[in-house]
Amino acid sequence: MTKFEIGDRVTVKDATSMFHTRTQAFIRGHTGVVVEHRPAWVIPEDEAWGRVDDGRTEPFYVVRFQQTDLWPRYTGYEIDTLETECSERWLEPAGEADT
Amino acid sequence: MTHSHDDHAPIQASEEVSEFEILETAIRELSIEHGLFSREDHRRFSEWAESVGPSGGSKLVAKAWVDPEFKKRLLADGTETCKEVGIDWRDPTGSGTPSDYTYFYVLENTPKVHNVIVCTLCSCYPRPVLGMSPDWYRTPNYRRRLVRWPREVIAEFGLHFPSDVEVRVHDSNQKSRFMVMPMRPEGTEGWSEEQLASIVTRDTMIGVAVPQVDWTATTPPSDNGGAAR
Repeated sequence: MTKFEIGDRVTVKDATSMFHTRTQAFIRGHTGVVVEHRPAWVIPEDEAWGRVDDGRTEPFYVVRFQQTDLWPRYTGYEIDTLETECSERWLEPAGEADT
Repeated sequence: MTHSHDDHAPIQASEEVSEFEILETAIRELSIEHGLFSREDHRRFSEWAESVGPSGGSKLVAKAWVDPEFKKRLLADGTETCKEVGIDWRDPTGSGTPSDYTYFYVLENTPKVHNVIVCTLCSCYPRPVLGMSPDWYRTPNYRRRLVRWPREVIAEFGLHFPSDVEVRVHDSNQKSRFMVMPMRPEGTEGWSEEQLASIVTRDTMIGVAVPQVDWTATTPPSDNGGAAR
């Protein structure tokens, strides 16, 4: 079961960067849209410690961000986007303030 | 200005060894010592891994251009469809090495969307289809700047798009690997798959260039001012 559906607006948690997360600092705290589902796999937080067989698996999502939402002084055009993948634990439903 | 060999500084070996080089050497030496593989195995594997070039990717794109059904399959399941042109992402280790991938996705360029790939966290690259990444792809300069100033960076490669074309950056931060499928240029009607593959160069599949009818990876464009003639 996946928590988010295609088209859902999600905010990346602004959580700690301690240890291995593979969640880039530049997307934390930013809101984007789920555009694709990815199959569940072991989260990097566990895989980094060699827990491949007994690590926690989670669904992953491709999240599309508007570049102008990521960078306050983005110099390209309004329609430009950036896509990257996030594990479920890093995402939460976007609040009303973010829509 | 006269040329003199005395002007050259003597060649000096760099003393700098990175943490990862030390780690690689340590693990390699231990593996050999414990008989996991031999020195020759290691040499042969390195030689093979480094000999994989971008021709597999070119073949995929050219085939997709001439065969709509193949294109559908490629876009729907990149990993599986690669096998049709003899590329098995799990070969030869069974776990995906030399690229620590899980899934392979092909990103189709359209008149409205131009895709470009980067890995900001390290240097993930679709090695089974494109071979080793170019040096610049692995530099912090490209990795930092492409996500922040994509239009400026691709402009440095000579590529410009108007405001109604979305430039879409794909940061491969997890286990997926990506390759761009460029648009087939005009003037290639009736070309064979091999001819088409010759203009689908490495950079067009990273997304910092688009295919040109008179430009392959081994021949310069015909309009370079005749400098080559």
